[in-house]
Amino acid sequence: MEYESLMNLIDGMASEFLFLEVKEIDVPTAGKLLNNLDNLIKETEALKIDQLKKVACGLSSLLEKVILDSIEDKEAGFNILEKGILLMQEIGDAFRNTGSYEGNSNDFMESLVILTGDSAAKVESEAEAFQQDETQSAEKIEVQDESLLRDFIIESLEYINDIEVNTLNLEQEPENKDHINAIFRPFHSVKGVAAFLNLEQIRDVSHDLETLLDQARNDDLAVTSHFIDIVLDGTDALRAMIVRLKDHLEGRKPEPLEIDISDLKNRIKAIDQEIPDIEKPKKLGEILVENGVIAQESVEESLKVVQANPQKKIGEALIDEGKVSSKQVSQALRKQSKQDINNSTIRVDVKKLDDLIDMVGELVITQSMIRQSQIIQSNMDRKLTKDVTHLSSIISELQRTSTDLRMVPIKQIFHRMSRLVRDLSKGAGKKIGVVMEGEDTDIDKNMVDEIYNPLVHMVRNAVDHGIESMEERVKTGKPERGLIQLKAYHRGSNVVIEISDDGKGLDKDKILKKAVENGVINSSHGLSDQEIYKLIFHPGLSTAKQITDISGRGVGMDVVKQAVEKLCGKIEINSVYGKGTNIMAYFPLTMAIINGITVRVGKERYIIPTVAIRQLLRPLQKSYNNVVGRGEMINVMGDLMPLVRLHKFFGIECEYESPWEAIIAVVEGEDRTKCIMVDEIIGEEEVVIKGLGESLKDIKGISSGAILGDGNVGLILDPEGLFELSEM
Amino acid sequence: MDSDQNMKILIVDDFATMRKVIRNLLRQIGYQNVIEAEDGVDALKELRSQKIEFIISDWNMPNMSGIELLRAVRADSELRDLPFLMVTAESLKENVVEAVKAGVSNYIVKPFTAEVLSEKIKKILEKK
Repeated sequence: MEYESLMNLIDGMASEFLFLEVKEIDVPTAGKLLNNLDNLIKETEALKIDQLKKVACGLSSLLEKVILDSIEDKEAGFNILEKGILLMQEIGDAFRNTGSYEGNSNDFMESLVILTGDSAAKVESEAEAFQQDETQSAEKIEVQDESLLRDFIIESLEYINDIEVNTLNLEQEPENKDHINAIFRPFHSVKGVAAFLNLEQIRDVSHDLETLLDQARNDDLAVTSHFIDIVLDGTDALRAMIVRLKDHLEGRKPEPLEIDISDLKNRIKAIDQEIPDIEKPKKLGEILVENGVIAQESVEESLKVVQANPQKKIGEALIDEGKVSSKQVSQALRKQSKQDINNSTIRVDVKKLDDLIDMVGELVITQSMIRQSQIIQSNMDRKLTKDVTHLSSIISELQRTSTDLRMVPIKQIFHRMSRLVRDLSKGAGKKIGVVMEGEDTDIDKNMVDEIYNPLVHMVRNAVDHGIESMEERVKTGKPERGLIQLKAYHRGSNVVIEISDDGKGLDKDKILKKAVENGVINSSHGLSDQEIYKLIFHPGLSTAKQITDISGRGVGMDVVKQAVEKLCGKIEINSVYGKGTNIMAYFPLTMAIINGITVRVGKERYIIPTVAIRQLLRPLQKSYNNVVGRGEMINVMGDLMPLVRLHKFFGIECEYESPWEAIIAVVEGEDRTKCIMVDEIIGEEEVVIKGLGESLKDIKGISSGAILGDGNVGLILDPEGLFELSEM
Repeated sequence: MDSDQNMKILIVDDFATMRKVIRNLLRQIGYQNVIEAEDGVDALKELRSQKIEFIISDWNMPNMSGIELLRAVRADSELRDLPFLMVTAESLKENVVEAVKAGVSNYIVKPFTAEVLSEKIKKILEKK
């Protein structure tokens, strides 16, 4: 009885087989056969009928090959299938009747092995021929469809960014197969489309990388940092090729589309043989040799020193020995971490968008001029009033959407930062993880390029000065791996980017001491924490004891501040000594619009950027002092601040001469705060920035102009320039 | 075969450009009635909201892969008999066996021409 289900299976297969035609395989039927064979194999295992199991296994692998089209002699394949099923019936019958099978299945197995084994060798060449054949025909379908190519470029660049992030994730958790899958998939997709579009090289590289990842997925290859390096380099190569393709498509560079990938391909091939984890310093040495700064021998000598003293970095060793200057090292390091920052994800020519947004800006202004015109104001026609109101609501909606068009997620910058941290920390011999939050926060496309440099500086500082060396961290009871957190979110009309590290934090006493020494401040008395921290933005003030390769002399923070302020942004620092530092950078959402306070001086209107204003007040008469040698001062809550009379600089008449009749705006410049005296505050509004044109662009105290709601032109004040003007 | 030419085909692939490539190829061989889904989950949603007569799906997708979609379709009493063409890559051909066992109607290896695609579709429809 126990053989019943077995026989049913075999008989079922026999009848299924009738549906198979000799030359054409019917996939669903083959599927049923395969499933039956699987079940049969299980049954034979349970019943311990080895002979039958062998035949079933053989048939199953034969059938697989037939399905995969890798058997050349299809007719022979089918004959053997048929024979095999008959043989199984025979064996099954014999077992059912006598409990054993006396016949011989060896002949059959032999012929089966000959067919499948024979074909095994052919599989490869056949597959190759097949592929070539297909690529040739793919050439035919090249479709000359440029839009398809464009889509491919945009989409694959996005994918490549994803790959990069996931690769970095993978490095953090090499065991996590999800990360490998998340990298594998996009490579696979890029490869697939590249094959259709006949982009041989792109297909090639993504194919090689895909294979590599597949090996890692199957645990045939360990995920070492060397492995990650190769994947990242491959990603870079892919990006370079796609960007080149893009340039070519846009008619920019007619140079060859191909780039030299032989080196990369060799590295991929040799991944097993290469010693994992080649130290980065060696590469630094290579760069220095390439730059002609030093000879290969000197690098090798220093390498010995470094090997003897593992805590030392090659750059340090070279500097110590006087072979190179620190500048040369930092240049080489920069070269090492150089990356392509020109990839845009906006699918429309940005210029067109800019024009559109400009025109919408004009529209808004014109609209508000119409609304405020006498005729409209005094108009009694209800229909017209209603229409005008409707029109303005449509226009403000239009303005909102059009500015939105230019918004891109901050993701791409963050991703580049995490890549940067990875490269830098390797160079500094530290272990640092990156956590990102709010990557989907939108920011003006034009801002992206502008905030890139200041962010790089801050991240560099966090890596180099913020996070301690591994030994130091362990000593103070922190985990070996440092952590840098990148956070982005909207606050009002600003985008806030926070960079936090869990490093050693800022040492207030040291900063103060240094600042007094350098004459930046007179005494440390009465400064708030914020004000102390802000001292690090002073040119030349650095608390780092040692000059390191990465951040040079610790300068750079002043550059950051300038860059941020140029964008009408501002920076705040918080720090707990020993625990870490948090830097918050506020940027306006877009460069085209700023939030400003409109003020009046005499008949003129000026706009002061809201971020620069600390306070607006009308001082008491007694808080006004005219200090000999220091000029006019206003006492604002205990602090004496210089008074700046706007009308003096701009040569205009003002309404109020006495500060206690006028209004005082307490405005922050780069490193000092002053009181700007104006006649009246008109209100706060978002204004569309209009450049003053080439010939007027360097006027001190004025950054640009704007058309105000009432149609008048207002000038936007540049506090820092104004202060400089007042000190002349 | 006129009715076949009008049948509604669902393309499932996470890569938009790939969907477009397949759409273009389908147009070349006369199939105009094409909709798209970007993964298995999305595809099931489409399948349950309208009458679709043919599925062309990629293997490798986030959320729900081609094979998972295939299994879900074959397990659904409404959708069970839908023709299902699996798109796969040369390097992942061994997957095909798995798909065949799960009841795929046929498979096609990337990159393919319009002719090959046309043949595969016809073959599947003949068997139906």
